[in-house]
Amino acid sequence: MAVLELDGLIKDYGDVRAIHGVDLTIDNGEFCVFVGPSGCGKSTLLRMIAGLEEISGGELRIDGVRVNEQRASERGLAMVFQTYALYPHMTVRQNLAFGLENIRTPKPEIVRRVEAAATMLQIGPYLDRRPKQLSGGQRQRVAIGRAVVREPRVFLFDEPLSNLDAELRVTMRGEIAGLHRRLGNTMIYVTHDQVEAMTMADKIVVLRDGRIEQAGTPLELYNQPANSFVAGFIGSPRMNFVDVTVREAEAGGVVVSDAAGNDYRAAVAPDGLEPGDAAELGIRPDHLIVGDAAGHAVTVQSVEQLGGESYLYCETGAGTPLTVHLAGQTGIRRGETTHVVFRPDYTHLFRKSDGLGMKRLVVGEAV
Amino acid sequence: MFAPVTTAISYLYRAAFELFERPMLAVQKMTGAQKIAWVFLLPNLLIFGLFTFLPIFLNFFYATSGSDRILLSERPYVGLENFSSLLACENYLDPNSCQRDIFWRAVHNTSWFVVLQVGFMILFSLVTALVLNRNIPLRGFFRSVFFYPVLLSPVVVALIWKWVLQRYGVLNAGLETQGLPIVNWLVEADWAFFWIVFVSIWAHMGFYTLILLAGLQAIPADVYEAAEMDGASKWRVFSKITMPLLMPTMVVVLVLSLIRAVQAFDEIFVLTGGGPGSATLLLLQFIYETGFAFRPQLYGLAAAASLLMAAVLMVLTLLQLRAARGRGEG
Repeated sequence: MAVLELDGLIKDYGDVRAIHGVDLTIDNGEFCVFVGPSGCGKSTLLRMIAGLEEISGGELRIDGVRVNEQRASERGLAMVFQTYALYPHMTVRQNLAFGLENIRTPKPEIVRRVEAAATMLQIGPYLDRRPKQLSGGQRQRVAIGRAVVREPRVFLFDEPLSNLDAELRVTMRGEIAGLHRRLGNTMIYVTHDQVEAMTMADKIVVLRDGRIEQAGTPLELYNQPANSFVAGFIGSPRMNFVDVTVREAEAGGVVVSDAAGNDYRAAVAPDGLEPGDAAELGIRPDHLIVGDAAGHAVTVQSVEQLGGESYLYCETGAGTPLTVHLAGQTGIRRGETTHVVFRPDYTHLFRKSDGLGMKRLVVGEAV
Repeated sequence: MFAPVTTAISYLYRAAFELFERPMLAVQKMTGAQKIAWVFLLPNLLIFGLFTFLPIFLNFFYATSGSDRILLSERPYVGLENFSSLLACENYLDPNSCQRDIFWRAVHNTSWFVVLQVGFMILFSLVTALVLNRNIPLRGFFRSVFFYPVLLSPVVVALIWKWVLQRYGVLNAGLETQGLPIVNWLVEADWAFFWIVFVSIWAHMGFYTLILLAGLQAIPADVYEAAEMDGASKWRVFSKITMPLLMPTMVVVLVLSLIRAVQAFDEIFVLTGGGPGSATLLLLQFIYETGFAFRPQLYGLAAAASLLMAAVLMVLTLLQLRAARGRGEG
């Protein structure tokens, strides 16, 4: 149980700055996910919190106490590694007990905690096996168990599911979420998979190049992305972007037009946008309506029919690719021309110069 | 610039292929696809047979025959007389009570040498490897420094140290300038034995350091990070993580260094010649002198001694292989 405060955290490797002053508060019991593309610094940030990387600047506080100088083991955290990092020469039981033996926990207490963790994670039958004799999913459970037995204040997960196959990943995702509900600990989870982030997080922190792009609940990020990077990163399939020029900028909405002269309305606050400014219009594949003759004409490049849903990959007259998500099956064929409507309430607008997202006037599916 | 070379190689390859294709196909027609393997193995088998297996085989005949004649046909069969002569001893711990007291002195010296040289060398190699595995400045430089003596010829090693240790050598010159008493390092028996162990460790530890270093680097870094998160002390990391994971490498190092220590000869032969007296005489030198250097040349005795030594090496190897296999299964 702990509150984590990151106050201007900086990481330098020689002359290269990997983390540029990150400010973040992770509340007690919160499931916080760091997400971002490879090399964005999410793992580095986690390892700085863990104590495996030295902090070059700023302050890290756990429950109000500065821990910059504390060793990893003194911070009361436990980490689950991407590669599991199990001790290969020890049995599962020894793997679980090792951390407790290090702090001279009484024998009966070790036995009790190991048994409890083994039961909770369903690894009881494997306690006397070596990691080599376990499957990937079982190893991951042992790695989690090793963290659980230590009863840490905060759990850290470094891409724990990336070495598992897709099916197992979904199962383990549910188990980790279940673990969080049961234990109620603060947890920080690093992933590059935005689906994991969306499904598990109380709070998502999107990182890019060692900076926080946006932090918030999954739906906040989905509904009101702070900038075009977050908009493109959160949501699957990716948001569609169209390069546009602002024509009218009123408090009640903005009208823009693309290179081919098509007009679009976006129900967003203009926030300093002036007519003539370059902007990027964004709309998620779910929010395009197909087949309305009032819409813009697009050519269908390819169709994916998944049975329960369908995807159309189209191109506008200006050559911009558009992905459309349809519920159910579709009769539209490759090569056909159809029309799509951009629903103004669901249309995002980003300033071209810095990607800043305009505030949407209507937010959420409830509308 | 590699293009002409590759062209030449591919040309040669094709020429060889065309040269051998027909005859090899003809041979294969005679032998069949399976047995043609023997044709390819034949050159190697001949060389190994002639220069390795045949001498081993002949050794048994020499060991069971007497006299100083070299031709087997002129040597009378004596059964196990050579062995019983070597093993005739009232007290194996006292070479003077043995019929072949020099042999037993060599056995004693070799035993001590093996224990001390292997024991300390592995200890030093391990410590060196642990230090070189850390992020110390000039790591590459120090790695090559420790490996360098391995590249030297054993004779060069011995000559360097002879130059250091002799009566008017570098070491004594240094001691003299400090006003310290000088020692005749290679003439005093205990010091001479100390120095053969020392020089032998110096000459060979780089090799074992390198193997242990490779073993250390094969231990994944994340295991150490996990141990750090688990709050393991430095000693517990070493004793519970590094050592167990280094064990398979350790076994390899132990086997190799034991075998080489039992066979030690060249540096020591040049450095002390086995002296003073027989203070640094090792088994292999005894065999060499008995069979070849001294007259009469007692081939039978030398062959018997070498078979005894081979038996010891065989036992050592089997024990270590078993230990290695036991670990591998665990």
